[in-house]
Amino acid sequence: MIWKRTVLLFLLTITGLAFETSVFGRATLVGAKPELLLLMVVVLGMGEGPAFGATAGFVMGLSTDLVLQLPAGVSALTFTIIGYVVGRARAQVQSPGAWLPMVMVSIATFLGVLFYAAFNRVLGERFGALSVVRAAVLAAAYNCLLTPFVFPLVRALGARLRPRPSEVGL
Amino acid sequence: MIRMFDRSKRVRWLLVILIVASLAIVTIDYRSKGNGPFERIGHVALTILSPIQHGLVTIFRPVGNFFAGFTEVPSLRARVSTLQRQVAELRAGENTVAEIERENESLRKLLGIRDRYNLNTLAAQVIGVSPSNFERTVFIDRGSRAGVKKDMPVIAGDGLVGRVIRVGASTSEILLLIDRTSAVASRVVPSGETGLLEGDGSENTKLELFNPDAKLGVGDRVVTSGYDRGLYPPGIPIGTVVSAPPAQSNLSRVVTIQPYVDFSSLDYVLLIIGQTATSSPSPSGTVAP
Repeated sequence: MIWKRTVLLFLLTITGLAFETSVFGRATLVGAKPELLLLMVVVLGMGEGPAFGATAGFVMGLSTDLVLQLPAGVSALTFTIIGYVVGRARAQVQSPGAWLPMVMVSIATFLGVLFYAAFNRVLGERFGALSVVRAAVLAAAYNCLLTPFVFPLVRALGARLRPRPSEVGL
Repeated sequence: MIRMFDRSKRVRWLLVILIVASLAIVTIDYRSKGNGPFERIGHVALTILSPIQHGLVTIFRPVGNFFAGFTEVPSLRARVSTLQRQVAELRAGENTVAEIERENESLRKLLGIRDRYNLNTLAAQVIGVSPSNFERTVFIDRGSRAGVKKDMPVIAGDGLVGRVIRVGASTSEILLLIDRTSAVASRVVPSGETGLLEGDGSENTKLELFNPDAKLGVGDRVVTSGYDRGLYPPGIPIGTVVSAPPAQSNLSRVVTIQPYVDFSSLDYVLLIIGQTATSSPSPSGTVAP
C-alpha cells in the first residue's frame, strides 16, 4: 500500500529534519555535523532496495534543500543516487555481517558529501578542497557513530510499513 | 525471470526519472536566483517545521549542549573552567538555578548592548541550527508576523551575529557572520583602518584591509563601520584581531578576526529594527562589548 510508504517517508523526513536542525545542529564533532537524512536514506536503501532507496533519497534530499534553503535539487540528486547505489550494493553482499551497515553508511556519507560539494562547485560555489574532504571524513565518522542507534529504528519502521508481495503485484 | 528483468528495468527508469527531475529543479532554481517557486515552498515547510524544532530544542538542549562539549575537543580546554563551575553547581543540586542564571546573564548582556547603542530591537530565541557542513545559519522563533524583515542585522550580548536572510511567518533564518557568503564592512579600533570582513566557514573570520600598510596588532578590536548601505549600524562590536601577518601584496592585507560571539551556544538574539537619533557610538568604537 503506497500510503504506508508515504507516511513512513513523511514521518522520517520531518523527524530527521527537526533533529538535524535542533539537536545535531549544535552537537558537532570537531566542528562537523552529521548527515542524518543521508544516513536514513542509506538505511532505507539497504533494507528496502534500490527503488525505494532512490525515492526516499529524492524526497528527503528535496526536503532538505527546501527547508534549509540550500541550492534546490542538489541534495535531492545526491541522496537519490546514494539511495539507489546503496540498494544495489547491498544486493551484492551474500552474507552481511553486523559491521556492514556502519561500513556502508560511512562510505556513502563520505561519497555523498564529496558529490554534493563537487556539484555545487559546478554551480559556482567556492569550497576549499581540504575543508570539503575534512567535512566528508568527519560527517562519515559521525554518521558511523549514529548508525547503531538510527539503523534499527529506521529498519524496523521500514519493515513494518513494507507492502506485502500481493500488494505490489509479485 | 522475465518478471525480475522487468522489475530491474522499472527501477532503472525510476532512477532516470528522479535524476532528471532533480536536474530540472536545479536548473529552475539556478535561473530563478532565489525568487522561484521553491523559495515559497521552503517558507511553508519551514513554518510547519518550526513548532517541532522549538519543542525539540526545549527538550534536547541540555543533551545537545553536553554532547557538543564532549565532541568538540579543541574548544573543550577553553571551557574547562566553565564546566568545573557547572559541575559544582550540579553537585549542589542547583542546576536549574544555574541555567536560569545563564539565561539571565545572556539576556542582561542583550539589554546592555541594546541600551549602549540605543537600538530599537526585537528579541528572539534561537530554535535551530543549519545541519549543513557548508552553511552557517541559525533559525529563530520570530517571523514576518513579529515584524522581521530580510537583511535586518542581528546581534547577541557580545556583538554582531549576522543578518536575516529568510523570513517565514513565525520563523526566520539568520546568516552568521562566519558563513562563507557573509561580508561586513568593518573598522579596526583604535587605528580606524577599514576593510571587508568575510567568513570562511570556520569559527574565525578574515578581514581584508583596504590599506595594506595599515598599522594594527593582535588584540585590536573590530567593529562595524556602517558602510554597507546602512545595513549594519556603525560601532557594533565584531571581534578581536588574533593574527595580523604582513601584507602578501601591495593591494590588500588579510588579518584573522576572532568574533566575540560564541556561535555554538547562541540562545537569544536581538534583531535591530532601527537606531534612535542620539545613538551613534563614537566612530572609534571605544565602547568595549
